[in-house]
Amino acid sequence: MNDDDRAFRALADPTRRLLLDRLFERDGRTLTELESELEMTRFGVMKHLRVLEEAGLVATRKQGREKLHFLNPVPIRLIHDRWIDKYTERRVSALADLKTELEEAG
Amino acid sequence: MTTMTQTNLTTQVYQVFIKAPPERIWEAITNPEFTTKYFYGARIEITPDRRRTFSPDGGDSWGEGAVMEYEPPRRLVHEWRSGYNPDLAAEEPSRVTWEIEAQDGGLSLLTVVHDRLEGAPKTAESVAGPGWMMVLSGLKTLLETGEPLTS
Repeated sequence: MNDDDRAFRALADPTRRLLLDRLFERDGRTLTELESELEMTRFGVMKHLRVLEEAGLVATRKQGREKLHFLNPVPIRLIHDRWIDKYTERRVSALADLKTELEEAG
Repeated sequence: MTTMTQTNLTTQVYQVFIKAPPERIWEAITNPEFTTKYFYGARIEITPDRRRTFSPDGGDSWGEGAVMEYEPPRRLVHEWRSGYNPDLAAEEPSRVTWEIEAQDGGLSLLTVVHDRLEGAPKTAESVAGPGWMMVLSGLKTLLETGEPLTS
């Protein structure tokens, strides 16, 4: 598995995306803080955080006795550069405009 | 679609794997000929005790600050002042830590921690997300392909 595979796999899970959103809202949190916002066991949250860490989407730092989790946005940026930019030419944006127009009309 | 605001940006952590040995990454961080190619054009000179930043042509000073730790090719800690923007430059200095760890397969893991941003909220917002990411993905591209990410 390469870096992109790991990042895509990590992002495929809704709980892990939720964890990333939580870190985006407020970065540098402990497991206990993150756990308190999710209806999930500590072990479950730990498991998801580990997948995010292995994919490089979460970085941890020790601060005193606490282990803090930080959102590392770099792999998402790299995916964006590699996969999204390529497909977001005018053609695609024309379709997006059409979709918006149709939805607004309806 | 929902938009969210980021809060608590007083410590920011960025990590990237780069296919290059620590020595080459260290050189790219400390040699102004390299920094102009990925650090918003800035010429950054780093000596064991000072970090000086100049405009791309080397004419204007974009500020300078202390180097607190200088351990080639593993660890560099320096003061950060946003001398490129008067509004941000008026804020208190913050701190940037670069850590380079060799990994298997000719890779290195580069970690950048920008912290002590409590007295510099505008700087914190300006460097967050795309700010540092452009630098790091530019550095990665430069070292892996020999070409700058943007020209």
